[in-house]
Amino acid sequence: MEVVTALIGGLPRPVGLAKAIEKYNTGKLSQEKLEQEYRKHTVKAYEKLKEIGISIVTDPLYRWDDIFNPLIGFIEGIEVNGLYKFYENNFFYRSPVVKEQLSLRDNPIIEWTETNREILEDVYPDATLKQVLPGPVSLAFHSLDEYYNDRTALARDYGRKVLLPLIRKLKNIVDIIELHEPALCIDDKSEYLGILNEIVEKSPLKAWIVTYFGEPKVDGIEKLNAVINVDLVESKGEILEKLNGEVGIGIVNSRETRLEDVKRLREILSSLSNRFSTIYITPNTLLDFLPESVAFRKLQLLKKLVGGG
Amino acid sequence: MELPILPTSIIGSYPKPWWLTKYYDLYKKRKISENEFQEAVRDASTAIVREHETAGVDVPWDGEMGREEMVEYFAAKIRGFIFRGSVRVWGNFYFNKASIVGPLEYRGPLVIKEFKLVEHVTAREIVKVPITGPYTIAEWSFNEYYDSKEEVARELAKILNKELKILEAEGAKFVQIDEPALTTHPDEIEWAVDAVNEAIKGLNLNIGLHVCYSDYNLLAKYFDDLNVTQFALEFANRKFREIDFLKRLGDKELGFGVIDVHNPRIETSDEVARNIRKVFEYVRPEKVYINPDCGMKLLSRETAREKLCNMVKGTKIVRKELERRGKVSIQFEAKI
Repeated sequence: MEVVTALIGGLPRPVGLAKAIEKYNTGKLSQEKLEQEYRKHTVKAYEKLKEIGISIVTDPLYRWDDIFNPLIGFIEGIEVNGLYKFYENNFFYRSPVVKEQLSLRDNPIIEWTETNREILEDVYPDATLKQVLPGPVSLAFHSLDEYYNDRTALARDYGRKVLLPLIRKLKNIVDIIELHEPALCIDDKSEYLGILNEIVEKSPLKAWIVTYFGEPKVDGIEKLNAVINVDLVESKGEILEKLNGEVGIGIVNSRETRLEDVKRLREILSSLSNRFSTIYITPNTLLDFLPESVAFRKLQLLKKLVGGG
Repeated sequence: MELPILPTSIIGSYPKPWWLTKYYDLYKKRKISENEFQEAVRDASTAIVREHETAGVDVPWDGEMGREEMVEYFAAKIRGFIFRGSVRVWGNFYFNKASIVGPLEYRGPLVIKEFKLVEHVTAREIVKVPITGPYTIAEWSFNEYYDSKEEVARELAKILNKELKILEAEGAKFVQIDEPALTTHPDEIEWAVDAVNEAIKGLNLNIGLHVCYSDYNLLAKYFDDLNVTQFALEFANRKFREIDFLKRLGDKELGFGVIDVHNPRIETSDEVARNIRKVFEYVRPEKVYINPDCGMKLLSRETAREKLCNMVKGTKIVRKELERRGKVSIQFEAKI
């Protein structure tokens, strides 16, 4: 069995970058200078991930306010609404209001991802790159739907008309596509399996479905030809009984600054070791809930688990 | 002590004058002394109390000029907390979320100085002192020390109780416990309610409880259990919909939120009056205070001021109607 360190979601947006974005928003910083800031912070992030030794990295999501934005701003048929609480966190997202049938507009996500890849090639060429996107079920679950009036139909269109066209364009830029699906731990409609399966099967990229804040409730999720990331901090991980091959284990807590005891984490890991060909060890959810310095220390814990750091 | 019927009040925070935010920056960069910074805070507090009074607010506060954030302020004053860095709340807004790394202990007054200043500068007889509640401080902190969040909340309740007793001895008459997180985890609300009650135990004060953007149907199940005299709740943001839960309020007071603090549109006085009338279907006018939904700090100062002015003007329209029914004032007395 192989144990591999991996990041899920992005990294906490550095305060210095946030200040630069605010300056840009108020006309006090040029677009060019802002791009330099994004580049500077992305270089630093990949240098840090290399130093720690995280094998599979992501877009740090420094341009993203939350897992839905700015993507939903690039979708025809959607208006971006007010702030909503992201589960029970003191963290808020802007919700999509679905007004018409969905379609993906021209957007800069591909260009941003190319830039990330270019930086990664310079800084940390050995790393595997994942692009993070919200999954169709979570997009639908968190939408205010004024058009479809059917969450399943909405999730299907998010998949077919928004995510798949985007994923196809990401081919040759990233290695893996990571879909965030916390809503799978709340909403258990059986139809979601087909919607996810369609994306996984039609995606030209390996798919990695990240669940958190509980146990995935949709029956048959283990049948998907994708890495399923299980939150082992906030669930018992019962789904692990059904999974085999490659699996993602959210093993360090991204919602508490307390650093876990490595010995205890090793025990958890060894209890799983003979059941999978590869275990990707990850934070249990987005690292946005932690101060930046603590987020990196949590990643160092992952490295310690595979015998480094 | 008498207050006009439908006394107007605020919830807590208010936009800081532009110059005070500069002083905060200078203070953080250690370019001004503690004394210089505190002088700026005092001046800003005085200005904001006046601004509230000029708007016609009956029960003012200083808009939390000395507080940057509602949990951070208290965590910085209680032993056992440290700050490991900021976390994002949304977009480019962060807060300095504290970590509990040792036993929580009261190490000195939390809000007494603020209260003494406001009491000194105000022309009003009663001021409202907002204090973040034990559950919200626990929920919005990292816990590296205690075995459970419940234990954290109970320790905080003891600390807040100590502060509230001093506050009472210093002459405070009206305190508001801010618990925006109270209904976040329905499975924790039983002990969260106990923690709030523990914090206010043994006091002879008017005590409001502010809960916002929350599940009020869940909260309403605990109206009787919470030993407070008033619930200050948010209604404008939810467009005054689904307010049947107020039937469970009993004889407690309601702080009725009529100003949406998340929308820069300024409510008209007629609109405020119209919305106030809606609440009388559920609560007697003698039991209603009028306030904005929540703290106003995210608005521009000009917008906040205009909103407060119209809140008061709208309230006065309804007061005139109540006057014709002989309802002019209420008695304000310690009720717990």
